[in-house]
Amino acid sequence: MIETSHLSKVYGRGIYALRDVSVVIEKGEFVFLTGPSGAGKSTLLRLLLRQETPSEGSVTVAGRDLARLSLSQAQTYRRGLGFVFQDFKLIQSKTVLDNVGLVPRVLGATSVQQQRRTFQVLKWLGLQHRMNAFPLELSGGEQQRVAIARALVNEPSLILADEPTGNLDPDLSLEIMNLFRDINARGTTVLVATHDRELMRHVGRRTLTLDHGRLVETR
Amino acid sequence: MVIHWFTYCLDEAFGSLWRQRGSVAFSVLTIAAALLVLGGFLLVTENLDRAVSKWSAAAEFSIYLRDDISQDQRVSLNALLSAHPVVASREYVSKADAAQRFKRDFPDLAAGLLDLPQNPLPASIEVRVHPRRAGAAAVEAFARELQQAPGVADVRFDRRWLERLGGIATGLRWAGWMLGGVLIAAAVLTVATVVRLALHARRDEVDIMQLMGAPISLLRGPLVFEGLLQGGLGALVALAVLYPVYVIVRQQFATALGPALDLALVGFLPPGISVLLVLGGMGVGCAGGFVAARHVR
Repeated sequence: MIETSHLSKVYGRGIYALRDVSVVIEKGEFVFLTGPSGAGKSTLLRLLLRQETPSEGSVTVAGRDLARLSLSQAQTYRRGLGFVFQDFKLIQSKTVLDNVGLVPRVLGATSVQQQRRTFQVLKWLGLQHRMNAFPLELSGGEQQRVAIARALVNEPSLILADEPTGNLDPDLSLEIMNLFRDINARGTTVLVATHDRELMRHVGRRTLTLDHGRLVETR
Repeated sequence: MVIHWFTYCLDEAFGSLWRQRGSVAFSVLTIAAALLVLGGFLLVTENLDRAVSKWSAAAEFSIYLRDDISQDQRVSLNALLSAHPVVASREYVSKADAAQRFKRDFPDLAAGLLDLPQNPLPASIEVRVHPRRAGAAAVEAFARELQQAPGVADVRFDRRWLERLGGIATGLRWAGWMLGGVLIAAAVLTVATVVRLALHARRDEVDIMQLMGAPISLLRGPLVFEGLLQGGLGALVALAVLYPVYVIVRQQFATALGPALDLALVGFLPPGISVLLVLGGMGVGCAGGFVAARHVR
């Protein structure tokens, strides 16, 4: 599913955010990406989201070399991804329903399809009773579940999550991680960047450890 | 897909216009001011053109005959006038009639005329031109043709003042385009700035949509539509201001100049030009929207 080969990303005056990283993540895998702050976790996710392009080496997702994608091809590629961020990245002026429904809407689904898919995923995540609420009216855990609903609504083959539990208490973090496990059980490849060792131990999946931009451990 | 794109862009553009209504009002007024100036100039020049055209077509001209004109020449000249479609009517003024008129119109000078051994005034034919069938160019061409006819001493078709009026109209039109052009450039920049402000206000939303893989046309489209709507609104405001100003000025003229001015000649911008002004406003707004949309990559 994901393959990086001697992948490096250099910023500014020769500062390596990632250096010579080669990993393979199989389809349907659940993988943690960990390491201290500044280790390069977010950089790798940005490269996978095609927000950045590699300085050296290559990154391939589902057979597509991301560096070679044009602007419109990159947009097409992103439609097959789901993303979840620490700060939720919800649109404050839109309701839960509209935030989640925005994905099928921008991808051209009919109004009926849009409502059906949005409601299904909100129901699965237990948010159907909050669908007319605005993000600021929700708790942190609820906001993150909305973000996950948005990531799932388009049935992506890959979910990328950058510190999805960073703003949540331990119980909610566990709840969110269990959600990711359920999502993975349905066949979706999940890559979660986190530095919460307790959670990783609890979920117990393969872990890639980065430090100073280098891949230092695979367990 | 196109309908989806269109409705999405329109929805988002209307929403954004409403959210940013303060700055949008400023932008709409800037466009309205630019188009008001341009529309005002067009209104004046359009009316001048109309007047020049009508006066040119409705003009009379005089054919002065040589004293030694033969009967055959007179017959062929009459045949020429009868056959030509621009001629509405004609009146023969003999040398004696011309003297009578002179005495009537210039009584102080009449004594001098009577002292002369021979009546110096030529016989003439006064021709009235058919206003609907005759363009200015056709009348002028016919006058030139008559000038060459045997037995004709001169043809008086004084168009100089009409040409001057036409020149003024052209000058005004150019001045309008230049001044309007400068104001339109300013309006494009204003729209671009306002749309960019709206883009900044929606930056998070646009970033999220980019991450979702929204097509670039869906990200840029609402910004272009926003500019388009601002431009259209600005043009409508300009027309809404221009029309009452036109009505008031027309009434003022009617009172001041009374019957001297043929008010039927004075009209508002023709529907075609009004529509073009609105489309132009939309184009101006659209250009501003494009300038702002370039920042979405």
